[in-house]
Amino acid sequence: MTNSFVKGFIADLFYFPKIGRGVHCIWQRNFLYFRQTIFTSITWIFVEPLLYLFALGYGLGRYVNQVEGLSYAEFIAPSMMATSGMFVAFFEGTYGTYTKLTRQNTYQTVILTPVSPDEVLIGEILWVTTKAFISVLSVAIVLTLMGLLPLAGIIPALGVLFLMCWVFASIGVWLASLAKSYEWFTYSQSGFIMPMSLFCGTYFPLSQLPKYLKYFSNILPLTHVMMSVRMFLHGEVTSMFLINIIYLIALGAIFTNLAAARFVRRLVF
Amino acid sequence: MTTNQGAEKAKVIEATNLVKNYGDRRAVDGISFTVHAGECFGLLGPNGAGKTTTFKMIYGSAQITSGELFVLGLNAKSHIQKIKSSIGVVPQENGLDPDFTALENLQIYANYFGIAEKAARDRAMELLSMMQLEDYAEKSIDTLSGGMKRRLTLARALISKPKLIFLDEPTTGLDPQARIWIWDELRSLQKQGTTLFLTTHYMEEAEELCDRLIIVNKGRTVAEGRPQELIESYVGREVVEFEIGPKEVEYFVSKIKDRFAYQVMRNRLKLFVRGQQTTRDAINEVSSQNVTMRKASLNDVFLKISGYELND
Repeated sequence: MTNSFVKGFIADLFYFPKIGRGVHCIWQRNFLYFRQTIFTSITWIFVEPLLYLFALGYGLGRYVNQVEGLSYAEFIAPSMMATSGMFVAFFEGTYGTYTKLTRQNTYQTVILTPVSPDEVLIGEILWVTTKAFISVLSVAIVLTLMGLLPLAGIIPALGVLFLMCWVFASIGVWLASLAKSYEWFTYSQSGFIMPMSLFCGTYFPLSQLPKYLKYFSNILPLTHVMMSVRMFLHGEVTSMFLINIIYLIALGAIFTNLAAARFVRRLVF
Repeated sequence: MTTNQGAEKAKVIEATNLVKNYGDRRAVDGISFTVHAGECFGLLGPNGAGKTTTFKMIYGSAQITSGELFVLGLNAKSHIQKIKSSIGVVPQENGLDPDFTALENLQIYANYFGIAEKAARDRAMELLSMMQLEDYAEKSIDTLSGGMKRRLTLARALISKPKLIFLDEPTTGLDPQARIWIWDELRSLQKQGTTLFLTTHYMEEAEELCDRLIIVNKGRTVAEGRPQELIESYVGREVVEFEIGPKEVEYFVSKIKDRFAYQVMRNRLKLFVRGQQTTRDAINEVSSQNVTMRKASLNDVFLKISGYELND
């Protein structure tokens, strides 16, 4: 039993989806829907990080002198971009995908056409990545206008954040393809996403963490995002960021393959 | 060789010993059939007989456990994506996208087939008016009635002008007008050379539409043929139905069982009139207050084959 589970897991790891133009069709379908609801979506994307920024940056920040040579608002500005993208990717990947997979039967209909289940899955992950990155960009614009983001280094930082959106999109869609009910997402949200938004060098430097928590924190994808984004924006750029990027790419690839294998089996069984 | 190839071309679907297991449960247990170009072929059976599962294997929404399946000359196990580009499917659940309007549903679906935007819009408008839905083009799916949703689903299946269309219970849950309207639409599609393959548990529908059909029960084929042939070989020309008391059933059955084909359904005894027999012969056999004579129908075949008991 355990043996076959491990074998299945390894097989899933090496499930490389075959894709073609269908990926674009799925992306377009989702974009069309997004365009209809763009006003509410974008407003929400702007409002949420602003709330954090005011509460933490200007409220709590008054009591904090400086963190790593930055005002507290400046220090948490990159975290605003990262957590916003992470949350959007996770929510859209889990709740959004699961709804289309179960309640709306959207994908069951799509696979009656030349678009393959593989393409549906990749199109979905790409869309979720896009939507999350739109939220990263929106927050970046606001923060730049407020003078909280230095323009130098913003391009590579956004590159890392795009990778991050993909990683959380694939994790989200993977969970959606495993889930038996919406409850699954509540657990992963409060057990995984929420803690990560707090303990990955987002609101205080990693050096403040106790030693063992620090090791643990190094496994989490968001830690690697924060390390490299901070390096590009405020630090001295060393080749360390390569480790962060390789780690993120590996995670993205692993979860994309796992999600694809599961999703396809769930759609056509 | 040439003639042989010609004969091959006429076969649109060729299924041999199709089997489908869901875990330990066998949903389809070795079904074989051939569908020819231009005909309307029916897959009949009670709920849970394996109709939808068989269908799903043919259009790639379920994996084939074992057996051989060729659709439009292509092996369904290896060329399912190619097959899907030349067929139209009306699934049992409409699966219309609630996030979009009727027109957008068709346009998005057309995009999946790679139909260019302008051509897709024209085709979608043409189909909406053919299905008498042009006034609902900009309406959201939730505002459509059951019949309208079914028509829109049929329109969606036609978007790529397929030569082979699958219809899984096309008129289940529709009112009589909507049903007849869909039948007429299907007949005119067939006249234009489209091959239709449908499942239904309405015998009336099968008699109206199907050139040939198979009846499946518990995952197996139990009968195959033209509706009229099936009626004649399984029941006969006419049916005489007697309402009798439960205690009399045994007596009358023993009296007629050597001469008439019959079926007992609770307090009703059905005698099937066939060959040289006449209705009068049958009527004289049983004394009953309530006698009905009628033409034999596919319904009688179905009840005779799959039994009177509820079997889901």
